[in-house]
Amino acid sequence: MIKHGIVLLAGLLCSTVLHADVVIIAHSSGPDSITENEVRDIYLNRSQQLPNGNRATAFELTAGTPIRSEFHNKITSRNDAQLKAFWSQQVFTGRGQPPAEFGTAAAMKASVSTTPGSIGYIDESDVDSSVKVILKP
Amino acid sequence: MTNFLRVTPLALAIAAGSANAQSTEETVARMQQQLSSMQQQLNAVKNDRVRFNGFFSTGIARADNDAGFDGITEETSVADLSLLALQGTFDVTEKSQAVLQLIGRGSEDWDPVVEWAYLSHRPTNNVQLRAGKMRLPLFMYSDSLEVGYSQPWVRPPQSVYGPVAVSSYVGADATHTLNLDGSSLTSQVFAGYTDEEGDISEAEFRNTLGLTLSWTDYLWTVRGVAVTTEVTVDATRLSALAAENGLQLANGQSILADEERGKFYGFGVSYDDGIWQIISEVTRAELDGKFADTDSAYISVARRFGALTPYAVVGWIESQDDDEREGAFLAQTAGGPVPVVPESVLNTSRNEYSLGLRWDVTPGIAIKGDVTHVTGFEDEAGGLNPAFVLAEDDDSTNVYTVKLDAAF
Repeated sequence: MIKHGIVLLAGLLCSTVLHADVVIIAHSSGPDSITENEVRDIYLNRSQQLPNGNRATAFELTAGTPIRSEFHNKITSRNDAQLKAFWSQQVFTGRGQPPAEFGTAAAMKASVSTTPGSIGYIDESDVDSSVKVILKP
Repeated sequence: MTNFLRVTPLALAIAAGSANAQSTEETVARMQQQLSSMQQQLNAVKNDRVRFNGFFSTGIARADNDAGFDGITEETSVADLSLLALQGTFDVTEKSQAVLQLIGRGSEDWDPVVEWAYLSHRPTNNVQLRAGKMRLPLFMYSDSLEVGYSQPWVRPPQSVYGPVAVSSYVGADATHTLNLDGSSLTSQVFAGYTDEEGDISEAEFRNTLGLTLSWTDYLWTVRGVAVTTEVTVDATRLSALAAENGLQLANGQSILADEERGKFYGFGVSYDDGIWQIISEVTRAELDGKFADTDSAYISVARRFGALTPYAVVGWIESQDDDEREGAFLAQTAGGPVPVVPESVLNTSRNEYSLGLRWDVTPGIAIKGDVTHVTGFEDEAGGLNPAFVLAEDDDSTNVYTVKLDAAF
Protein backbone atom coordinates (compact mmCIF):
# COMPACT_ATOMS: atom_id res chain seq x y z
CA MET A 1 0.00 0.00 0.00
CA ILE A 2 2.77 2.36 1.03
CA LYS A 3 4.70 1.27 -2.05
CA HIS A 4 1.70 2.05 -4.21
CA GLY A 5 1.41 5.41 -2.50
CA ILE A 6 5.03 6.20 -3.29
CA VAL A 7 4.62 5.13 -6.89
CA LEU A 8 1.50 7.26 -7.14
CA LEU A 9 3.27 10.24 -5.54
CA ALA A 10 6.26 9.79 -7.84
CA GLY A 11 3.88 9.62 -10.78
CA LEU A 12 2.17 12.78 -9.65
CA LEU A 13 5.50 14.55 -9.20
CA CYS A 14 6.66 13.44 -12.64
CA SER A 15 3.45 14.59 -14.23
CA THR A 16 3.73 17.94 -12.40
CA VAL A 17 7.26 18.33 -13.68
CA LEU A 18 6.19 17.35 -17.17
CA HIS A 19 3.33 19.82 -17.07
CA ALA A 20 5.68 22.69 -16.24
CA ASP A 21 7.65 21.99 -19.42
CA VAL A 22 7.97 24.90 -21.79
CA VAL A 23 7.56 24.28 -25.51
CA ILE A 24 8.38 26.55 -28.43
CA ILE A 25 5.41 27.21 -30.68
CA ALA A 26 4.99 28.78 -34.11
CA HIS A 27 2.32 29.88 -36.56
CA SER A 28 0.86 27.01 -38.59
CA SER A 29 2.74 28.24 -41.69
CA GLY A 30 6.04 28.34 -39.75
CA PRO A 31 8.93 25.87 -39.79
CA ASP A 32 8.40 22.32 -38.47
CA SER A 33 11.43 22.42 -36.20
CA ILE A 34 14.05 24.79 -34.84
CA THR A 35 17.19 24.38 -32.72
CA GLU A 36 17.76 25.84 -29.24
CA ASN A 37 20.52 28.05 -30.66
CA GLU A 38 18.22 29.40 -33.36
CA VAL A 39 15.58 30.22 -30.74
CA ARG A 40 18.21 31.91 -28.54
CA ASP A 41 19.50 33.98 -31.48
CA ILE A 42 15.98 35.21 -32.27
CA TYR A 43 15.19 36.09 -28.63
CA LEU A 44 18.54 37.86 -28.14
CA ASN A 45 18.19 39.93 -31.33
CA ARG A 46 21.10 38.18 -33.04
CA SER A 47 18.95 36.88 -35.86
CA GLN A 48 15.63 37.96 -37.36
CA GLN A 49 15.19 34.85 -39.42
CA LEU A 50 13.31 31.57 -38.97
CA PRO A 51 14.92 28.34 -40.26
CA ASN A 52 12.56 28.49 -43.27
CA GLY A 53 13.94 31.91 -44.24
CA ASN A 54 10.90 33.93 -43.15
CA ARG A 55 11.27 36.99 -40.99
CA ALA A 56 10.78 36.04 -37.34
CA THR A 57 8.43 37.84 -34.96
CA ALA A 58 9.11 36.75 -31.39
CA PHE A 59 6.61 36.96 -28.55
CA GLU A 60 7.28 36.81 -24.80
CA LEU A 61 5.23 36.17 -21.70
CA THR A 62 5.36 39.03 -19.19
CA ALA A 63 8.25 39.27 -16.74
CA GLY A 64 7.76 37.30 -13.54
CA THR A 65 5.73 34.43 -15.03
CA PRO A 66 7.19 30.96 -14.23
CA ILE A 67 7.09 29.73 -17.84
CA ARG A 68 9.04 32.82 -18.98
CA SER A 69 11.68 32.14 -16.32
CA GLU A 70 11.90 28.53 -17.40
CA PHE A 71 12.16 29.50 -21.08
CA HIS A 72 15.00 31.94 -20.43
CA ASN A 73 16.68 29.56 -18.03
CA LYS A 74 16.82 26.91 -20.73
CA ILE A 75 17.34 29.05 -23.83
CA THR A 76 19.06 32.38 -23.11
CA SER A 77 20.48 31.84 -19.58
CA ARG A 78 19.37 35.36 -18.61
CA ASN A 79 17.13 36.57 -15.80
CA ASP A 80 14.59 39.39 -16.05
CA ALA A 81 17.00 42.10 -14.84
CA GLN A 82 19.65 41.01 -17.35
CA LEU A 83 17.05 40.92 -20.13
CA LYS A 84 15.89 44.42 -19.21
CA ALA A 85 19.47 45.72 -19.30
CA PHE A 86 20.11 43.88 -22.57
CA TRP A 87 17.02 45.31 -24.28
CA SER A 88 17.63 48.83 -23.03
CA GLN A 89 21.07 48.56 -24.65
CA GLN A 90 19.47 47.33 -27.90
CA VAL A 91 16.69 49.94 -27.91
CA PHE A 92 18.91 52.92 -27.14
CA THR A 93 21.53 51.89 -29.66
CA GLY A 94 18.85 51.60 -32.34
CA ARG A 95 19.42 47.88 -32.82
CA GLY A 96 15.89 46.72 -32.12
CA GLN A 97 12.84 46.53 -29.92
CA PRO A 98 12.04 43.79 -27.40
CA PRO A 99 9.35 41.23 -28.30
CA ALA A 100 5.72 42.07 -27.52
CA GLU A 101 4.65 40.54 -24.19
CA PHE A 102 1.50 38.71 -23.21
CA GLY A 103 0.14 37.94 -19.76
CA THR A 104 -1.44 34.57 -20.47
CA ALA A 105 -0.86 31.45 -22.55
CA ALA A 106 -4.24 32.07 -24.22
CA ALA A 107 -3.15 35.52 -25.42
CA MET A 108 0.20 34.09 -26.55
CA LYS A 109 -1.54 31.34 -28.56
CA ALA A 110 -4.04 33.77 -30.04
CA SER A 111 -1.22 36.01 -31.28
CA VAL A 112 1.00 33.21 -32.54
CA SER A 113 -1.92 31.59 -34.37
CA THR A 114 -2.82 34.84 -36.14
CA THR A 115 0.69 36.19 -36.92
CA PRO A 116 2.60 34.50 -39.77
CA GLY A 117 6.33 34.20 -38.96
CA SER A 118 5.68 34.34 -35.22
CA ILE A 119 7.36 32.27 -32.56
CA GLY A 120 6.44 31.98 -28.91
CA TYR A 121 6.52 29.65 -25.94
CA ILE A 122 3.92 28.22 -23.56
CA ASP A 123 3.49 25.43 -21.06
CA GLU A 124 3.16 22.11 -22.89
CA SER A 125 -0.22 21.52 -21.18
CA ASP A 126 -1.59 24.66 -22.85
CA VAL A 127 -0.84 23.45 -26.40
CA ASP A 128 -3.83 23.09 -28.71
CA SER A 129 -4.43 22.76 -32.46
CA SER A 130 -4.22 26.54 -33.08
CA VAL A 131 -0.41 26.50 -32.88
CA LYS A 132 2.45 24.22 -33.92
CA VAL A 133 5.03 22.92 -31.45
CA ILE A 134 8.45 23.27 -33.12
CA LEU A 135 10.79 22.51 -30.22
CA LYS A 136 10.70 20.89 -26.80
CA PRO A 137 13.87 22.09 -25.16
CA MET B 1 -54.44 8.65 -34.81
CA THR B 2 -54.08 8.87 -31.13
CA ASN B 3 -50.64 7.43 -31.59
CA PHE B 4 -49.89 9.93 -34.25
CA LEU B 5 -51.14 12.73 -32.05
CA ARG B 6 -49.09 11.43 -29.25
CA VAL B 7 -45.97 11.14 -31.38
CA THR B 8 -46.26 14.48 -33.12
CA PRO B 9 -45.25 16.65 -30.20
CA LEU B 10 -42.27 14.42 -29.68
CA ALA B 11 -41.28 14.70 -33.35
CA LEU B 12 -41.81 18.39 -33.20
CA ALA B 13 -39.75 18.58 -30.05
CA ILE B 14 -36.94 16.61 -31.70
CA ALA B 15 -37.13 18.74 -34.80
CA ALA B 16 -37.14 21.88 -32.71
CA GLY B 17 -34.27 20.52 -30.66
CA SER B 18 -32.21 19.89 -33.75
CA ALA B 19 -33.07 23.34 -35.06
CA ASN B 20 -32.00 24.78 -31.73
CA ALA B 21 -28.75 22.82 -31.85
CA GLN B 22 -28.11 24.08 -35.35
CA SER B 23 -28.65 27.69 -34.35
CA THR B 24 -26.41 27.22 -31.28
CA GLU B 25 -23.65 25.88 -33.51
CA GLU B 26 -24.10 28.80 -35.85
CA THR B 27 -23.99 31.21 -32.92
CA VAL B 28 -20.80 29.62 -31.58
CA ALA B 29 -19.20 29.74 -35.02
CA ARG B 30 -20.23 33.36 -35.41
CA MET B 31 -18.89 34.21 -31.96
CA GLN B 32 -15.63 32.42 -32.72
CA GLN B 33 -15.29 34.44 -35.88
CA GLN B 34 -15.99 37.65 -34.03
CA LEU B 35 -13.50 36.69 -31.32
CA SER B 36 -10.82 35.93 -33.87
CA SER B 37 -11.38 39.21 -35.69
CA MET B 38 -11.27 41.06 -32.35
CA GLN B 39 -8.04 39.23 -31.58
CA GLN B 40 -6.62 40.35 -34.90
CA GLN B 41 -7.60 43.93 -34.16
CA LEU B 42 -5.96 43.64 -30.74
CA ASN B 43 -2.82 42.30 -32.39
CA ALA B 44 -2.87 45.17 -34.83
CA VAL B 45 -2.85 47.52 -31.85
CA LYS B 46 0.02 45.58 -30.25
CA ASN B 47 2.14 45.68 -33.41
CA ASP B 48 1.65 49.41 -33.48
CA ARG B 49 3.83 51.57 -35.62
CA VAL B 50 5.08 53.89 -32.91
CA ARG B 51 7.02 52.92 -29.78
CA PHE B 52 8.32 55.13 -27.04
CA ASN B 53 11.21 54.37 -24.72
CA GLY B 54 13.08 56.55 -22.32
CA PHE B 55 15.90 56.74 -19.85
CA PHE B 56 16.60 58.85 -16.84
CA SER B 57 19.57 59.55 -14.61
CA THR B 58 20.14 61.63 -11.55
CA GLY B 59 22.77 61.72 -8.84
CA ILE B 60 25.29 63.72 -6.93
CA ALA B 61 29.02 63.93 -7.42
CA ARG B 62 31.55 65.80 -5.37
CA ALA B 63 35.32 66.15 -5.56
CA ASP B 64 37.69 66.94 -2.71
CA ASN B 65 39.17 69.83 -4.71
CA ASP B 66 38.51 71.93 -7.80
CA ALA B 67 40.67 70.00 -10.27
CA GLY B 68 37.51 69.45 -12.28
CA PHE B 69 37.68 65.78 -13.28
CA ASP B 70 34.64 65.31 -15.57
CA GLY B 71 33.73 68.88 -14.57
CA ILE B 72 33.19 67.82 -10.96
CA THR B 73 34.38 70.21 -8.26
CA GLU B 74 33.76 70.78 -4.57
CA GLU B 75 30.43 72.40 -5.41
CA THR B 76 28.82 70.20 -8.03
CA SER B 77 25.05 70.29 -8.05
CA VAL B 78 22.52 67.49 -8.50
CA ALA B 79 21.38 68.94 -11.83
CA ASP B 80 24.74 68.21 -13.48
CA LEU B 81 24.23 64.43 -13.41
CA SER B 82 20.54 64.57 -14.23
CA LEU B 83 19.03 63.89 -17.60
CA LEU B 84 15.81 62.61 -19.10
CA ALA B 85 15.58 61.17 -22.59
CA LEU B 86 12.65 60.13 -24.70
CA GLN B 87 13.07 58.02 -27.81
CA GLY B 88 10.39 57.47 -30.41
CA THR B 89 10.66 54.72 -33.01
CA PHE B 90 8.26 55.11 -35.91
CA ASP B 91 7.77 52.32 -38.44
CA VAL B 92 7.60 54.01 -41.83
CA THR B 93 7.34 50.74 -43.74
CA GLU B 94 8.09 47.16 -42.74
CA LYS B 95 11.76 47.77 -43.58
CA SER B 96 12.13 51.45 -42.69
CA GLN B 97 12.04 53.31 -39.42
CA ALA B 98 12.42 56.87 -38.22
CA VAL B 99 14.09 57.27 -34.81
CA LEU B 100 14.06 60.44 -32.75
CA GLN B 101 15.81 60.79 -29.39
CA LEU B 102 15.44 63.93 -27.29
CA ILE B 103 17.59 64.51 -24.22
CA GLY B 104 17.00 67.17 -21.60
CA ARG B 105 20.00 67.67 -19.34
CA GLY B 106 19.88 69.30 -15.94
CA SER B 107 23.16 71.04 -16.71
CA GLU B 108 21.49 72.71 -19.72
CA ASP B 109 18.33 73.80 -17.87
CA TRP B 110 16.55 70.71 -19.25
CA ASP B 111 16.28 72.25 -22.72
CA PRO B 112 15.54 69.26 -24.95
CA VAL B 113 18.29 68.55 -27.46
CA VAL B 114 17.91 66.22 -30.45
CA GLU B 115 20.67 63.61 -30.08
CA TRP B 116 19.32 61.19 -32.65
CA ALA B 117 17.16 61.92 -35.66
CA TYR B 118 17.60 59.42 -38.39
CA LEU B 119 15.87 57.30 -40.93
CA SER B 120 16.93 53.69 -41.13
CA HIS B 121 16.25 51.21 -43.90
CA ARG B 122 16.92 47.47 -44.01
CA PRO B 123 16.97 46.33 -47.64
CA THR B 124 17.85 42.81 -46.44
CA ASN B 125 17.99 41.13 -43.02
CA ASN B 126 21.77 41.74 -42.89
CA VAL B 127 22.11 45.30 -44.15
CA GLN B 128 21.08 48.51 -42.45
CA LEU B 129 21.39 51.98 -43.98
CA ARG B 130 20.89 55.09 -41.84
CA ALA B 131 20.92 58.81 -42.55
CA GLY B 132 20.50 61.73 -40.19
CA LYS B 133 21.93 62.76 -36.84
CA MET B 134 23.63 59.89 -34.98
CA ARG B 135 26.32 59.15 -32.40
CA LEU B 136 29.89 59.15 -33.67
CA PRO B 137 30.79 55.46 -33.16
CA LEU B 138 34.29 56.00 -31.72
CA PHE B 139 33.91 53.75 -28.69
CA MET B 140 32.25 50.51 -27.66
CA TYR B 141 29.67 52.46 -25.67
CA SER B 142 29.28 55.44 -28.03
CA ASP B 143 25.76 54.49 -29.05
CA SER B 144 24.61 54.32 -25.44
CA LEU B 145 26.93 57.04 -24.14
CA GLU B 146 24.36 58.61 -21.84
CA VAL B 147 22.23 55.53 -21.14
CA GLY B 148 23.64 54.99 -17.66
CA TYR B 149 21.36 52.02 -17.08
CA SER B 150 23.03 50.01 -19.84
CA GLN B 151 26.54 50.61 -18.45
CA PRO B 152 28.16 49.07 -15.38
CA TRP B 153 29.70 52.40 -14.26
CA VAL B 154 28.52 55.77 -12.96
CA ARG B 155 30.29 57.27 -16.00
CA PRO B 156 32.25 55.84 -18.93
CA PRO B 157 36.02 55.83 -18.14
CA GLN B 158 37.09 59.41 -18.81
CA SER B 159 40.65 58.55 -19.88
CA VAL B 160 39.19 57.11 -23.08
CA TYR B 161 35.75 58.77 -23.36
CA GLY B 162 36.91 62.22 -22.22
CA PRO B 163 39.45 63.57 -24.75
CA VAL B 164 37.24 63.66 -27.86
CA ALA B 165 35.10 66.76 -27.58
CA VAL B 166 32.29 65.69 -29.90
CA SER B 167 29.82 62.83 -29.62
CA SER B 168 27.45 63.15 -32.58
CA TYR B 169 27.52 63.72 -36.31
CA VAL B 170 25.15 64.37 -39.15
CA GLY B 171 25.65 62.01 -42.03
CA ALA B 172 25.02 58.46 -43.12
CA ASP B 173 26.20 54.96 -42.33
CA ALA B 174 25.89 51.47 -43.72
CA THR B 175 26.12 48.39 -41.51
CA HIS B 176 26.51 44.82 -42.68
CA THR B 177 26.17 41.83 -40.38
CA LEU B 178 27.65 38.52 -41.41
CA ASN B 179 26.22 35.68 -39.34
CA LEU B 180 28.77 32.93 -38.86
CA ASP B 181 28.25 29.71 -36.97
CA GLY B 182 27.78 30.90 -33.38
CA SER B 183 29.28 34.31 -34.00
CA SER B 184 28.80 37.40 -36.13
CA LEU B 185 30.97 39.99 -37.84
CA THR B 186 29.56 43.50 -38.18
CA SER B 187 31.17 46.09 -40.42
CA GLN B 188 30.08 49.69 -40.57
CA VAL B 189 31.19 52.61 -42.72
CA PHE B 190 30.11 56.15 -41.86
CA ALA B 191 30.61 59.63 -43.22
CA GLY B 192 29.47 63.01 -42.04
CA TYR B 193 29.95 66.34 -40.36
CA THR B 194 29.93 67.67 -36.78
CA ASP B 195 29.74 71.10 -35.23
CA GLU B 196 29.53 71.00 -31.43
CA GLU B 197 30.00 73.42 -28.62
CA GLY B 198 31.32 71.89 -25.40
CA ASP B 199 32.46 73.16 -21.99
CA ILE B 200 36.10 73.31 -23.05
CA SER B 201 35.97 74.07 -26.74
CA GLU B 202 34.00 74.54 -29.90
CA ALA B 203 34.81 71.82 -32.38
CA GLU B 204 34.03 71.26 -36.02
CA PHE B 205 34.74 67.95 -37.79
CA ARG B 206 34.46 68.11 -41.56
CA ASN B 207 34.57 65.26 -44.06
CA THR B 208 34.59 62.66 -41.35
CA LEU B 209 35.02 59.15 -42.71
CA GLY B 210 35.24 56.05 -40.60
CA LEU B 211 35.12 52.29 -40.45
CA THR B 212 34.28 49.97 -37.57
CA LEU B 213 34.65 46.21 -37.47
CA SER B 214 33.19 44.18 -34.67
CA TRP B 215 33.22 40.44 -34.11
CA THR B 216 31.36 38.68 -31.35
CA ASP B 217 30.57 35.15 -30.28
CA TYR B 218 28.21 36.68 -27.67
CA LEU B 219 30.76 35.94 -24.95
CA TRP B 220 33.75 37.80 -26.36
CA THR B 221 33.50 40.95 -28.44
CA VAL B 222 36.45 42.41 -30.36
CA ARG B 223 36.07 45.80 -32.00
CA GLY B 224 38.30 48.04 -34.10
CA VAL B 225 37.63 51.54 -35.37
CA ALA B 226 39.53 53.99 -37.60
CA VAL B 227 38.38 57.52 -38.39
CA THR B 228 39.84 60.38 -40.40
CA THR B 229 38.48 63.93 -40.34
CA GLU B 230 39.35 67.63 -40.73
CA VAL B 231 39.23 69.35 -37.36
CA THR B 232 38.80 72.94 -36.28
CA VAL B 233 39.00 73.59 -32.53
CA ASP B 234 38.47 76.86 -30.73
CA ALA B 235 39.63 76.54 -27.11
CA THR B 236 36.87 78.64 -25.60
CA ARG B 237 37.84 77.73 -22.03
CA LEU B 238 41.37 78.98 -22.58
CA SER B 239 40.03 82.35 -23.80
CA ALA B 240 37.67 82.46 -20.82
CA LEU B 241 40.53 81.71 -18.42
CA ALA B 242 42.60 84.49 -19.95
CA ALA B 243 39.65 86.86 -19.73
CA GLU B 244 39.17 85.99 -16.02
CA ASN B 245 42.74 87.16 -15.50
CA GLY B 246 42.13 90.39 -17.37
CA LEU B 247 43.89 89.28 -20.53
CA GLN B 248 42.77 88.98 -24.08
CA LEU B 249 44.42 86.30 -26.14
CA ALA B 250 45.99 87.57 -29.35
CA ASN B 251 44.07 86.99 -32.54
CA GLY B 252 43.75 83.34 -33.44
CA GLN B 253 45.61 82.13 -30.34
CA SER B 254 42.66 80.10 -29.08
CA ILE B 255 42.31 78.30 -32.41
CA LEU B 256 44.14 75.06 -31.63
CA ALA B 257 43.40 73.51 -34.97
CA ASP B 258 42.23 75.07 -38.20
CA GLU B 259 41.02 72.39 -40.61
CA GLU B 260 43.85 70.13 -39.51
CA ARG B 261 43.91 66.42 -40.29
CA GLY B 262 42.65 64.39 -37.35
CA LYS B 263 42.93 60.64 -37.03
CA PHE B 264 41.40 58.34 -34.47
CA TYR B 265 42.07 54.67 -33.85
CA GLY B 266 40.41 52.48 -31.27
CA PHE B 267 40.57 48.86 -30.27
CA GLY B 268 38.29 47.23 -27.73
CA VAL B 269 37.73 43.81 -26.21
CA SER B 270 34.96 42.75 -23.90
CA TYR B 271 33.96 39.53 -22.21
CA ASP B 272 30.58 38.92 -20.58
CA ASP B 273 29.49 35.49 -19.37
CA GLY B 274 26.65 36.77 -17.23
CA ILE B 275 28.83 36.68 -14.09
CA TRP B 276 32.06 38.42 -15.09
CA GLN B 277 32.04 41.48 -17.29
CA ILE B 278 35.46 42.61 -18.46
CA ILE B 279 35.88 45.55 -20.83
CA SER B 280 39.01 47.18 -22.17
CA GLU B 281 39.53 49.87 -24.79
CA VAL B 282 42.71 51.42 -26.17
CA THR B 283 42.50 54.58 -28.28
CA ARG B 284 44.83 56.96 -30.11
CA ALA B 285 43.75 60.45 -31.18
CA GLU B 286 46.08 62.40 -33.48
CA LEU B 287 45.64 65.97 -34.63
CA ASP B 288 48.13 68.14 -36.49
CA GLY B 289 48.95 71.41 -34.73
CA LYS B 290 49.00 72.45 -31.08
CA PHE B 291 46.13 70.25 -29.98
CA ALA B 292 47.37 67.30 -27.93
CA ASP B 293 47.72 63.87 -29.55
CA THR B 294 46.71 61.39 -26.87
CA ASP B 295 47.00 57.69 -26.25
CA SER B 296 44.64 56.29 -23.68
CA ALA B 297 43.34 53.03 -22.31
CA TYR B 298 41.26 51.51 -19.58
CA ILE B 299 40.40 48.11 -18.23
CA SER B 300 37.23 47.47 -16.27
CA VAL B 301 36.38 44.33 -14.33
CA ALA B 302 32.92 43.77 -12.87
CA ARG B 303 31.38 40.73 -11.22
CA ARG B 304 27.68 40.13 -10.68
CA PHE B 305 26.53 38.77 -7.32
CA GLY B 306 22.78 38.61 -7.91
CA ALA B 307 21.53 42.20 -7.83
CA LEU B 308 24.93 43.58 -6.81
CA THR B 309 27.75 44.24 -9.25
CA PRO B 310 30.99 45.64 -7.83
CA TYR B 311 33.46 46.97 -10.39
CA ALA B 312 37.02 48.27 -10.59
CA VAL B 313 38.47 50.40 -13.40
CA VAL B 314 42.00 51.51 -14.12
CA GLY B 315 42.44 54.20 -16.80
CA TRP B 316 45.40 56.02 -18.30
CA ILE B 317 45.89 58.88 -20.74
CA GLU B 318 49.07 60.55 -21.96
CA SER B 319 49.75 63.18 -24.62
CA GLN B 320 52.32 62.01 -27.19
CA ASP B 321 53.44 65.27 -28.80
CA ASP B 322 54.54 67.42 -25.84
CA ASP B 323 57.62 68.55 -27.83
CA GLU B 324 55.24 70.42 -30.19
CA ARG B 325 54.12 72.68 -27.34
CA GLU B 326 57.31 74.44 -26.20
CA GLY B 327 55.98 77.96 -26.89
CA ALA B 328 53.33 80.05 -25.21
CA PHE B 329 49.92 81.48 -25.92
CA LEU B 330 50.14 85.19 -26.61
CA ALA B 331 47.95 87.88 -25.10
CA GLN B 332 47.20 91.24 -26.70
CA THR B 333 48.66 94.17 -24.75
CA ALA B 334 49.27 97.83 -25.52
CA GLY B 335 52.92 96.99 -26.13
CA GLY B 336 52.08 94.17 -28.54
CA PRO B 337 51.59 90.45 -28.02
CA VAL B 338 53.24 88.95 -24.90
CA PRO B 339 53.49 85.28 -23.86
CA VAL B 340 51.07 84.56 -21.00
CA VAL B 341 50.26 80.85 -20.83
CA PRO B 342 52.73 78.11 -21.77
CA GLU B 343 51.38 75.81 -24.46
CA SER B 344 52.33 72.95 -22.18
CA VAL B 345 49.01 73.45 -20.32
CA LEU B 346 47.63 71.20 -23.06
CA ASN B 347 50.01 68.39 -22.13
CA THR B 348 48.03 65.61 -20.56
CA SER B 349 49.08 62.85 -18.26
CA ARG B 350 46.67 61.20 -15.89
CA ASN B 351 45.87 57.91 -14.19
CA GLU B 352 42.40 57.05 -12.95
CA TYR B 353 41.39 54.39 -10.43
CA SER B 354 37.72 53.70 -9.78
CA LEU B 355 35.94 51.39 -7.37
CA GLY B 356 32.18 51.20 -7.61
CA LEU B 357 29.07 49.18 -6.94
CA ARG B 358 25.96 48.80 -9.08
CA TRP B 359 22.77 47.67 -7.37
CA ASP B 360 19.93 46.53 -9.63
CA VAL B 361 17.02 47.55 -7.45
CA THR B 362 14.44 46.17 -9.86
CA PRO B 363 14.51 45.50 -13.63
CA GLY B 364 14.78 49.01 -15.10
CA ILE B 365 16.32 50.79 -12.13
CA ALA B 366 19.91 50.70 -10.87
CA ILE B 367 21.63 52.67 -8.12
CA LYS B 368 25.41 53.08 -8.30
CA GLY B 369 28.11 54.39 -6.06
CA ASP B 370 31.68 55.16 -7.15
CA VAL B 371 34.93 56.51 -5.79
CA THR B 372 37.49 57.63 -8.36
CA HIS B 373 41.06 58.62 -7.54
CA VAL B 374 42.81 60.62 -10.26
CA THR B 375 46.53 61.29 -10.12
CA GLY B 376 49.82 61.29 -12.08
CA PHE B 377 49.58 64.82 -13.54
CA GLU B 378 53.42 65.10 -13.61
CA ASP B 379 53.50 68.87 -12.98
CA GLU B 380 51.06 69.42 -15.82
CA ALA B 381 47.33 70.04 -15.87
CA GLY B 382 46.38 66.40 -16.47
CA GLY B 383 43.82 67.51 -19.04
CA LEU B 384 41.82 69.00 -16.16
CA ASN B 385 41.35 72.60 -15.06
CA PRO B 386 44.89 74.07 -15.42
CA ALA B 387 43.98 77.17 -13.40
CA PHE B 388 43.51 74.98 -10.34
CA VAL B 389 45.90 72.07 -10.89
CA LEU B 390 48.92 74.22 -11.74
CA ALA B 391 48.24 76.94 -9.17
CA GLU B 392 47.62 74.55 -6.27
CA ASP B 393 50.37 72.14 -7.24
CA ASP B 394 47.97 69.31 -6.44
CA ASP B 395 48.76 65.95 -7.98
CA SER B 396 45.45 64.25 -7.36
CA THR B 397 41.72 64.57 -6.98
CA ASN B 398 39.14 62.22 -5.47
CA VAL B 399 35.63 62.13 -6.88
CA TYR B 400 32.65 60.58 -5.05
CA THR B 401 29.49 59.80 -6.99
CA VAL B 402 26.07 58.34 -6.21
CA LYS B 403 23.80 57.88 -9.18
CA LEU B 404 20.40 56.49 -10.08
CA ASP B 405 19.87 55.21 -13.62
CA ALA B 406 16.58 54.06 -15.08
CA ALA B 407 15.32 52.83 -18.43
CA PHE B 408 11.69 52.49 -19.39
